[in-house]
Amino acid sequence: MFSGKVGYQLKDALIVLAAVVACGAVGYLAAPEPPPPQERAITIRARQYAFEPEVLRVNRGDTLRLSFISEDVVHGFFLEGHDLDVKIFPLEPEFEVTRPSSPDSSERVREVVLTVEKEGKYRYRCSHTCGYMHPFMQGEMIVAPNRLLPASMGMGFGVLLGSLAVTARRRKSP
Amino acid sequence: MNAEDSSAGAPRTGQAPEDTPAIARVSNGRRIDLLRKIPQLKWLVSRRWFQFAVVLPNLLLFLLFLLAGAFGSPVGNRNIIVVFVWILWWFLLIGVMVPFASRIWCTVCPFPFFGEWLQRRALVAVRSTDPRQGKRNEGESGMLLGRNRYFGRNRRWPRVLSSIWLQNLGFLALCTFSALLLTRPLVSVVVLGSLILLATVLHLLYRHRAFCSYVCPVGGFLSLYAMTSMLEVRSADADVCAQCGDKGCLAGNEAGWGCAWGVYPSKLDRNNYCGLCMECVKTCPHDNMALNLRAFGTDTRLKGYDEAWKAFIMLALALAYSMIFLGPWGSLKDWVNVSESRNFEGFLVYTAVLWGGSLVVLPGIYALAVWLGRKLAGPHDASAKQVFLGFVYPLVPLGLVVWIAFSLPLLLVNGSYILMVISDPFGWGWDLFGTAQVAWTPILPQWVPYLQVALLLLGLAFALKTGWEQATGLFHQHGKALIAFAPVAVVLTMTVLCFFKLYAG
Repeated sequence: MFSGKVGYQLKDALIVLAAVVACGAVGYLAAPEPPPPQERAITIRARQYAFEPEVLRVNRGDTLRLSFISEDVVHGFFLEGHDLDVKIFPLEPEFEVTRPSSPDSSERVREVVLTVEKEGKYRYRCSHTCGYMHPFMQGEMIVAPNRLLPASMGMGFGVLLGSLAVTARRRKSP
Repeated sequence: MNAEDSSAGAPRTGQAPEDTPAIARVSNGRRIDLLRKIPQLKWLVSRRWFQFAVVLPNLLLFLLFLLAGAFGSPVGNRNIIVVFVWILWWFLLIGVMVPFASRIWCTVCPFPFFGEWLQRRALVAVRSTDPRQGKRNEGESGMLLGRNRYFGRNRRWPRVLSSIWLQNLGFLALCTFSALLLTRPLVSVVVLGSLILLATVLHLLYRHRAFCSYVCPVGGFLSLYAMTSMLEVRSADADVCAQCGDKGCLAGNEAGWGCAWGVYPSKLDRNNYCGLCMECVKTCPHDNMALNLRAFGTDTRLKGYDEAWKAFIMLALALAYSMIFLGPWGSLKDWVNVSESRNFEGFLVYTAVLWGGSLVVLPGIYALAVWLGRKLAGPHDASAKQVFLGFVYPLVPLGLVVWIAFSLPLLLVNGSYILMVISDPFGWGWDLFGTAQVAWTPILPQWVPYLQVALLLLGLAFALKTGWEQATGLFHQHGKALIAFAPVAVVLTMTVLCFFKLYAG
């Protein structure tokens, strides 16, 4: 279908793509399966401009019983991909929970229960302006098996190997 | 005036022929001349008022931003200067303008407006002397450079500063205080206002756009990453230029000003120091200038260590910013946010790591990989400098992609602030367009890591492809090229894996 330089470049691209897919698949499959789901009680403390814990490592299927406390000013806790936005008041055990999918209703509670069903990396961000560095106040919830990381590492090596193969192939080209 | 006369222009960075890699001296590939394809565009950029017409609205907007920064809300995400400049403008600059339109920002940039006005004493018109009169200074004030008349001191820019080292260090210094710059409207006002003032003073002291070429901290990285851009100004036919006796593009004429960047458009073979002002399109008596659309990453030649170090600085900054602004580590944020945290010790550590990493550690690791590659490849003709500069080039497309990957979440996550500040630019409670109360709404934040990984993979693939090509050009034999570039290829891959860990791990 393609011949000459275009065909040659197309083959180069396919070689790199094949290496990326193969190495990415190896990385994806190499990620260890998480242990059985468990229930975890976690208190998240917010301060200007960080959350404690900064990184929350959980497993897919875990049930999280989350409570919040702010050490200084009003903060928010917006969890990406989980329809959860919390308003945290300074030194108060109660907080206000809103579902971004239905933003008009909210409730004040002392605990919110969340079952994490999707693996991956989700950032939680402050959603109430809390000071100068507010837009950068965030933490990370990493839900194992976070296959994106080993898959992307594999794909990175795939790019290296693929480009090596393409260059070696050029050596033999006319 | 000839090319050698132009002191304020393309930085002179080790351009001796023997220092220049043999490969890619003339960039190849297909070009589409937009000026010939789109006559309306040709008409537009040929108007004398073109640049004034595109700068003026930008200048007015910029003045509004300065007012908002000075008198509006001190909270960054409630003030238009911070939201528009550091979220919207930054992403458009690095993610759209540079890759697709080279230094188009320089076409519309308000920084040199007042200086150039005072230097030319004209906003639209041209001051020129007809060479046929033979009398150069009689009866007219100002200084004649080429065939254009300028005002101010019109000194030559000092040769010792004729590189982008000042821009490298200035940018690094500014970025050291990035947490203040990105979050305090008043700091943005002071910095951006000072840059306008400095540009004006330098225009009065030095000829042409010395500020843009040698001082502007934005211009430094624009010059580097514009190499990758899909747009270029070039002469359409080199033979026509060779036979041209007028050289209006450089010396100016009654149709326009000589190149304000001091480059000789006829010999332009890189985008680095072309500000797309379009004066050469106006001044060319042979209608021989082209505005070409071309493939991504066509310019592949770094000319000096200043440009190489710019690539290192930009990569190190992207890594540092990804940790500070996209990472979860509160202590790092405290270190950079020194005016609030008062953690001076932490700030000193951060500054030392940032400067040491940018100027010494990263270049050192890279130099080691280059040295190892040369050793493994065995005897060859290319000099150490040629190989080093050739192998640093892949950091240009990779660095640009890394910066886009870093900037993407800033726009997607905080983009809704743009709607708020459009209606309430000063943060005073206005609601001009009914969008002031729009809730903060991140756009697809959970997809950001996937987009970042995809971008970085593309960047790595392109960097490695250009790296092998550079190696083949330098070492001539494929086997040697493969071995010589291998250590650098590993360093590039490991660098990208570090970003994967930050963004996806």
